[in-house]
Amino acid sequence: MNDTRRSRVVLGALLGAALLMITIDYRGGADSPLRALRSVGATVFGPVERASAAVVRPVGNTFDAITDAPDQRRRAEHLARENQRLREQLRANRLNQSRADQLDRLLGTAGVGGYRIRAAQVISAGQGLEDTVTIDIGSRDGVRRDMTVIAAEGLVGRVTRVGPATATVLLATDVTSTVGARLEDSKEIGIVQGRGRRGLGGGGQTPLRYQLLDADAPMRVGQRLVTLGSQGERPYVPGVPIGVVERIDRPVGGLTRTAYVRPFARFTSLDVVAVVVEPPKKDPRDSVLPPSPKPSVTPSASPSARPDDKKDDKDEKDDKDADRRKPSARPSTGD
Amino acid sequence: MLNAPEPSPTGRTVVTVLVAVVALILQVSVANRLPLPGGVIPDLVLLTVVALALVNGSMTGMVAGFCAGLAADIIPPADHTIGRYALVYCLIGYVCGLASAEMNRQSLVPFLAVAVGALAGTVLYAVTGMMLGDPRASWAIVSRAVPLQVLYDVIASPFVVWAILRVHRRYERGDRKDRFSLPVARYRAMSGRGTRL
Repeated sequence: MNDTRRSRVVLGALLGAALLMITIDYRGGADSPLRALRSVGATVFGPVERASAAVVRPVGNTFDAITDAPDQRRRAEHLARENQRLREQLRANRLNQSRADQLDRLLGTAGVGGYRIRAAQVISAGQGLEDTVTIDIGSRDGVRRDMTVIAAEGLVGRVTRVGPATATVLLATDVTSTVGARLEDSKEIGIVQGRGRRGLGGGGQTPLRYQLLDADAPMRVGQRLVTLGSQGERPYVPGVPIGVVERIDRPVGGLTRTAYVRPFARFTSLDVVAVVVEPPKKDPRDSVLPPSPKPSVTPSASPSARPDDKKDDKDEKDDKDADRRKPSARPSTGD
Repeated sequence: MLNAPEPSPTGRTVVTVLVAVVALILQVSVANRLPLPGGVIPDLVLLTVVALALVNGSMTGMVAGFCAGLAADIIPPADHTIGRYALVYCLIGYVCGLASAEMNRQSLVPFLAVAVGALAGTVLYAVTGMMLGDPRASWAIVSRAVPLQVLYDVIASPFVVWAILRVHRRYERGDRKDRFSLPVARYRAMSGRGTRL
């Protein structure tokens, strides 16, 4: 069995190579000598991903629109049927419009906070257990490592790796992500950590965990979180809304108190995001948060289903709804 | 080995490479963005490697596995230690390639092999993460994600395997007259007979 022996030799060689790479890359950490390989990957696959994203986006959007709310399937079915009819007429138009709408809100958010942003689109997502996405702008567009990435609703994550035409974003829901955060209306600071698996880990609704550093500080359900801002505004700029405290763990004699947070951004269907290329001149404090009196801002309202109901121009209720979704449209008051 | 007489090895290699690249791109830009319940995604690249190994034997299986794994390690959103997928897919490709010799005798082999490959691949990847102290591969996450991932892989496997067999068959048909002497055709005949039994 000459073939078997040969194949065993090859197997050994390949496994050895893989182990060697793991060792080198692991020992090297961020400055690993293999990061050249990653740049090769970004250079080769980045453009391919961009192209394929352009092809598959309409398909993905359609799929999103149907599967977004499994718990409300009946309603979704009804709406999907209705949507289908409209979609046939307006597909291209509608996609552009929904994107323009998201961009609009994004610019509004950035305007209130005083951030300078660069809009981008998510073109691919990470495999296995990691919560990462690729966006379609890179070093050519002025993106650098450790820049904050936001969506219209709130914080998305930070840039970890930059290729020529693409960049990799570590989402806030990733287990390795930690963000300094502050409760609204107070100075109580803590750390927001991801719980993994694209926001669906840990039971779905609360993919983020907030650890309040002062165990005695007041904290209540419904309070909202904004980023604290890092040293030199990197990787996180201050004042970006993160989410709402959903549930607080009873302290069991720990030094910190833990709360579970529902994020504003929808991590399961990210599309238009923005990279903050220039931090604000001064800390916007709570001003970027959406206006306060709101029974439940549902971040589960899908952005892709937007433009239709806006054309329905019914009554005040619709208007108010639209307003709520466009917090940045008003000269928001720091609550 | 089943694939002993090859008409044009280069053509076959090209097809294999193309299949792997397409699977990888589909994985990152389509599959990974689907909001599936549970937050895990079927691993199309793993399934592709398993299918390629079953069709072409262990040599192709492990080389394709290694290359596809390395590509999966460096494709942009990837953020883990380079070499992890290369190691896992290479091993899986080799083992599933060994099973390709059994395909003549047992019609259930491809399905079993895909299920076992999915299970082993997912578990191995998680284990390498644990050994490297990757916080994403903590026990709490892995114990929830892995069973679901294997289930999804098994559900997705017939489609992937079918697609790859189809691609290969089309290629072979254009290339050779006598297609019934081919492993693919044999496998198809066998599995057809198996379902009738």
